[in-house]
Amino acid sequence: MEDTKPTLVLDHVSKSFGDFIAVSDLSLQVRPGRVFGLIGPNGAGKTTTIRMIVNITAPDSGRVELFGQTMSTAMQDRIGYLPEERGLYKRMKIGEQLRFFAELKQLRGAEAEKRIDTWLKKLDLFNWKDKRTKELSKGMQQKVQFITAVVHNPDLVILDEPFSGLDPVNVELMSDTILEQKAAGKTIILSTHQMEIAEKLCDDVCMINRSHKVLDGKLREIRRSFSRNAVALQFQGEDGLLNDPTLVASIRQHGDDTEVLLVPGASPQELLRRLVEANVAVTKFELVEPRLHDIFIEKVREVA
Amino acid sequence: MRKFLAVVKREYVQRVRTKFFVVATVLGPLFMAGFTILPAMMFGIKSGAPTRLAVVDESGTMYERVAKEITSGKKPRDEDVVQALDQSSSGNNNAKEKIEQANKLSGSTYVVEEVRLNGRSVGEIRKDLETKIQSHELDGYILLPANVLKEGQAEFRGRNAADVFTVSYVAAAISRAVRGQRLAEAKVDEKFVAEASEPIKLRTTGAGGQESKGEASFYLAFGAGLLIYMSVLLYGQFVLGAVIEEKETRIAEILFSSMRAFPLMMGKLIGVSLVALTQLGIWGLAFFTFSAWAAGGSSVPLPQIPAMLFVYFVIYFLMGYFVYATVYAVVGSMVTTTQEGGQMALPIVLMLVAGFLLSRNIIRSPNSSLSFWTSMFPFFAPITMLMRIATETPPLWQILLSLGIGVATIIGLVWLAARIYRVGMLMYGKKATIPEVWRWVRQS
Repeated sequence: MEDTKPTLVLDHVSKSFGDFIAVSDLSLQVRPGRVFGLIGPNGAGKTTTIRMIVNITAPDSGRVELFGQTMSTAMQDRIGYLPEERGLYKRMKIGEQLRFFAELKQLRGAEAEKRIDTWLKKLDLFNWKDKRTKELSKGMQQKVQFITAVVHNPDLVILDEPFSGLDPVNVELMSDTILEQKAAGKTIILSTHQMEIAEKLCDDVCMINRSHKVLDGKLREIRRSFSRNAVALQFQGEDGLLNDPTLVASIRQHGDDTEVLLVPGASPQELLRRLVEANVAVTKFELVEPRLHDIFIEKVREVA
Repeated sequence: MRKFLAVVKREYVQRVRTKFFVVATVLGPLFMAGFTILPAMMFGIKSGAPTRLAVVDESGTMYERVAKEITSGKKPRDEDVVQALDQSSSGNNNAKEKIEQANKLSGSTYVVEEVRLNGRSVGEIRKDLETKIQSHELDGYILLPANVLKEGQAEFRGRNAADVFTVSYVAAAISRAVRGQRLAEAKVDEKFVAEASEPIKLRTTGAGGQESKGEASFYLAFGAGLLIYMSVLLYGQFVLGAVIEEKETRIAEILFSSMRAFPLMMGKLIGVSLVALTQLGIWGLAFFTFSAWAAGGSSVPLPQIPAMLFVYFVIYFLMGYFVYATVYAVVGSMVTTTQEGGQMALPIVLMLVAGFLLSRNIIRSPNSSLSFWTSMFPFFAPITMLMRIATETPPLWQILLSLGIGVATIIGLVWLAARIYRVGMLMYGKKATIPEVWRWVRQS
């Protein structure tokens, strides 16, 4: 996996607007066939980064390389882009609209028509093909917009907040569709604030904050490295031993769970053994993997 | 290139299919006719009843002549008018018919009564007449002082001093009366004077050898200017709206991820221009059909329009459209909402209006230096040069020069606009300031 050629390389890329530095010395690689999460708080520089990837703006310095070549206008056709701020022509019919956007990606004629129909059916929108945008609900418009990003069968799909405004059913539908794209060998860059979804979908994650990269790597490895030696417990009975400062650093109530952070060096096995010895009825004992949400907040606070 | 064509096609098809386009295409000519004919008719219409004037003749010798001149119904500054009308006549109409025609056009008749002094003072009579004016028994009175022949001064008091037609009419009538009286007192035979004053008949032909028809060519020039003005304004606003829509809905972001800003902007400008040409083409066709129908037996007089004028019309429309629409595109990319766009676009509209307001001066003296310079200024030229061409075609080098300046301006504006557009379309949140815009231009 490591030696496959990356789909996208950002090599020491910087971009500023006047005095404002939007992206500073950012390097990253996106490997083919994977879902790459680009996360960070508002104003971190995600949108500017994406705009450089899709060749809307050029970096002040550094290099953007796509499919092994330096970025160019011709390569835009191999990218599908769902911007965060999205828009469709309000008075245009859905079918015509999709045909127009497909044409801008060099897809036209019967082939375009066929693919548009396939996608409309897949996302339960086929009956709306001759309706105008303004007649559609926000969630439906969102799905139409998604089709504009994938209809020309691009190798790289960039989705900026694809889940905003969707109900749970459609979030599920969208998630499944993204995973299907991945299975079909597409590379996907996903930018989102919704950490639970990012956790579920992403293989790799890059976190940027205040124009700098703060974290980058495979999601699993990142989570492991952030493991804080914590255990989630549910139990009944004596809990005096949790006050032992040689074993437990802190306790936090988290819903029904008692989250126990062990002192460095102490093993979870030791805790379990002591609990059993003390005759405590343990109903749940689980090593806690740090959630992306927590890592995100921790990293953002670190810099602040 | 194919992406550019896709943009052109979208702009064109989406717009031509709208109800607005269909309605505007049908109603446009009616409005145009209304705009051109109504003012002419409104000048002509007077509120039915004749204008009642009283004449106070202190000299005691002038009343007969003045009354005759006023009721004889000659237009103000009759010689000038007769001459002007004669120039515009197609040759076989003589002056008298023309005068009658002019009177019919102005529709005004006059009734004159003499007010004798009968020992009263002028002040008393004034007072009496003022009351009559106020009680609507009278529309105005003329006071001829005893020394009117020597001093050449008289007084007119009308209810409506702003009625310039009556004022100049009365002034001309008194002048003629005074002149006649002076000549009579100098023992000059009046018959001789009348013969001597008979204006020459001037037959005018246009530069193309065709007989020019003054009035017709006035309306033609005015109509052409009005049509350019209205279509440039309308289609410029379309471009403004289209650009703002794409910026407001953030469609620009998707478009820019598929194509460069320049072909996108050009595609938009050209797409809308094709819509405009389609509409103008339909109108042109309708006009031809109507003319052909009218020529076949109807008495509706339609101006003969030289074919070249249509060519010039299309050329100058395109020039005006691209000059203004490019500026509109820039404005659209700088603002964030339609309302802001309207405010920012106001100076552009005013510029267009200014060009149109010049039309009177241009048509009157198409070869003045004012006409020349305004027809070289690319923001006025589409209206002013076309009016000059319609009235008194200027030398070809002037036309070519104005076109050259226009094309150079368009290239410059497009160059500038593309730079502003590219950055402006991705700037959200607030209206761009001029220094910011200037920075965009320099940076890109």
